[in-house]
Amino acid sequence: MKDFLMDMIASELEDAVGRENCSTRTIDKLTHSVDFFWLSRMWADRGLRMPEADFVVAPKDAKETSAVLKIANYYKIPVTTWGGGGGSQGGAIPVCGGIVLDTKRMNQITDFNEKAMYIECGTGTIYKHLEWAANERGYATMHYPSSLTCSTVGGFLAHRGIGVSSTKYGKIDDMVMQMEVVLPNGDIIYTSPVPKHAAGPDLNQIFIGSEGTLGIMTKAQMRIYEQPELRKFRAFLFHNMTDAFNAGRELLQKFKPSVMRLYDEAETASLIKKIVGVEKPGAFMNIAIEGVAEMVELEEKILLETFAKYNVEDLGSEYGEKWWKEKITFFYPGHMMDIPQCFGTMDTIAPYDKIENIYWEMKKAIETNYPQAKFIAHFSHWYEWGCMIYDRFIVDGKDVPHDPHEALRLHNEIWSCGVRTALANGGVVNDHHGVGIKLGRLMKEQYGPAMQVFEGIKKQLDPNGILNPYKLGL
Amino acid sequence: MNFTQKSKDHMDACRFCWMCRHICPVGNATGQERNTARARALGLSMVARDAIEYSDDIINNVYECALCGACVEDCVTGWDPVMFTKEARQLAALEGKLPEYILKMLENLDAKGNVYGLDKDEALTNAAKELVDSKSLLFIGEDATFKAPDKAAKAIELLKKAGVDFTVLANEPNSGASINFLISAVAETKAVMENAAKVLSNYDKIICYDPADAKLFKREYKEWGIELGAEIVTFTEYVASLIRDGKLSVKNFGADLTPQDSYLLARELEETAPIREIISACGNVKEMLLCGKATVLAGNLIMNEYMPEIMKNVASRRWLNAENMNCKTVVTECTAEYVLMNMTKPEGMELLTVEEAVLKCL
Repeated sequence: MKDFLMDMIASELEDAVGRENCSTRTIDKLTHSVDFFWLSRMWADRGLRMPEADFVVAPKDAKETSAVLKIANYYKIPVTTWGGGGGSQGGAIPVCGGIVLDTKRMNQITDFNEKAMYIECGTGTIYKHLEWAANERGYATMHYPSSLTCSTVGGFLAHRGIGVSSTKYGKIDDMVMQMEVVLPNGDIIYTSPVPKHAAGPDLNQIFIGSEGTLGIMTKAQMRIYEQPELRKFRAFLFHNMTDAFNAGRELLQKFKPSVMRLYDEAETASLIKKIVGVEKPGAFMNIAIEGVAEMVELEEKILLETFAKYNVEDLGSEYGEKWWKEKITFFYPGHMMDIPQCFGTMDTIAPYDKIENIYWEMKKAIETNYPQAKFIAHFSHWYEWGCMIYDRFIVDGKDVPHDPHEALRLHNEIWSCGVRTALANGGVVNDHHGVGIKLGRLMKEQYGPAMQVFEGIKKQLDPNGILNPYKLGL
Repeated sequence: MNFTQKSKDHMDACRFCWMCRHICPVGNATGQERNTARARALGLSMVARDAIEYSDDIINNVYECALCGACVEDCVTGWDPVMFTKEARQLAALEGKLPEYILKMLENLDAKGNVYGLDKDEALTNAAKELVDSKSLLFIGEDATFKAPDKAAKAIELLKKAGVDFTVLANEPNSGASINFLISAVAETKAVMENAAKVLSNYDKIICYDPADAKLFKREYKEWGIELGAEIVTFTEYVASLIRDGKLSVKNFGADLTPQDSYLLARELEETAPIREIISACGNVKEMLLCGKATVLAGNLIMNEYMPEIMKNVASRRWLNAENMNCKTVVTECTAEYVLMNMTKPEGMELLTVEEAVLKCL
């Protein structure tokens, strides 16, 4: 009976997206079951299979996406959206089986609007391809995360991603104009044609960050920028973190650099030493200033004057340029943490009056409760009002239980400890990696009764609960 | 499964890494997650752990890779998905698990001397008719002989116009490039290569029309301990030298020409200058965004036998790269890429082989 029904559903899905775009192949199910989430990787490393989809479908546009969602709603089967699978929170894992909807066939560039400065594309477009398309016409997307080459436009939108030039150009949620979204019932909707308006709440911001739980974004207009006339780097070494935060805060009241990254002493002594070559102790900070050449020269002067007040060592431009060149190198296997280590990035964000305290409290909480864990951090996205901590715990392979269930337990305990400490001191569940299944349990702890707003939207849009179950705490 | 430790290490490094996804010509053409280096690595690493079987499904995935090395080139830490993919093909052969479509090509190779199962075209025989014995051999290769004999005839015409002393073989042996692509380094591959070497060892110089043969003669033959003794030169480099030495007098018509770098030349043999030297003599070099060592594969004729629509998509996407940069005339140095790009040529675009580009300017 089950086989019969599965065949019926498969034939309907094939009818919706074409036979070649509806797969039940082992390789497709397997590759859509392991994303960048440590637990899924650990599970596979132990030779275990993660929960897999029953069907992997790849619609070519909103219409086909709509057809898939109507089928899923009728049979009440889960649909998990998969972009690049580069997420670290398990957001793309089909934990309840059903359908994985891979967006990468929706990779067409449908409009290059040089007047309004955006490219309209399918959300399955790999972001690097969008960057190439912009570069071919002399522009840039200015969205440069470490996962630029791995992830899709939709993937970045789904979890509110961010790139290294965020201080000047913003997060992904600042870079999008209009979107096409397919609702769980199959309706195709369009958000406001412009991102700034007073026509009610911002529909874009309901779906951005919703991690595939409220609808499936199928098309987006992503902003492009003129290539900067000049991009200059300046690296510094601070003697203490307090000075670094104060200097950064003061600078941002004056102008916005593109890149601002501060590494704590532990990360300066490890990653920065290894990749960039800085040997001295201290907290390394890299600043990039870009735009019209005349402005850049002036901003550099302001930067040097501002930082001079904080007894900082000016390392010149060389290290910064090296950092820019190697900015993605940090994340290749061999440089990045990997199995058998247990690790996680517990990025959080807070205003300047709280951020340093959060850093010290999280460090203390992790290192005290889990002495086997090393805690390192950098601060990579800065605003006029505060900045984020990209803090990581790393447990050496020898201290990670081989038993996968025990390893899972340790991993989750460390996460709960770190994020709860952040929340208790004024931080949030996450800054730019999202929530997924990894942190869903902590959403209610951050939002309290405010969570009912999300739950209400979810209930209204997706009464059958088919979209990405057990993610985002919904 | 008996993967080597080296392959296991590379699979384990690649299985959770997506950094090269954007550069895979097949993955970009299909949009399928399985067509990534990490997906292949994950699947094979699970096979190595006995978590899944080395089934037809996984083996088919291994044959969805063009072995173009874009992922290897892109990896800053030096992991090599091509290496473990080739080993996976080798193991499929050794364990008697080759898919039907691969077996069919191997049978063709046995019966007809080429994986396509085709007979030699007369156009090529006629073009080579007046040539006399020489110690310099123009080695045409399997793809051009059976899939683009008219292009090979043009190459012969160009060398004749240059007045150089060369010959071609009426019954050219199979170099082993195709069997090496299909099942990698097994005894049968070595036997094909040794058979070719017996014939090729009579020459002082071998000009390889197909970059795949140049790479094979320079690399794999040596790895097998098969010495040819001849100087191996690519056709592109040879033509560039003829222009350089004044044997081909080329007029520059000022046209913009865009090189489609063969990955075999650009990445495997690190040869990117000759095609630009040729184009500079005939016109102006107008580059696409992804060129030189970062080139993108535009087609593979062996894969075209079992995944033709995807190969057309691969070629179409390369045309898109050219169109986006307003590159109207593309010059290829590899038969397979020419054939596939020619099948998918958009209106208003022009496609030339190296010899055609030069012949137009004589």
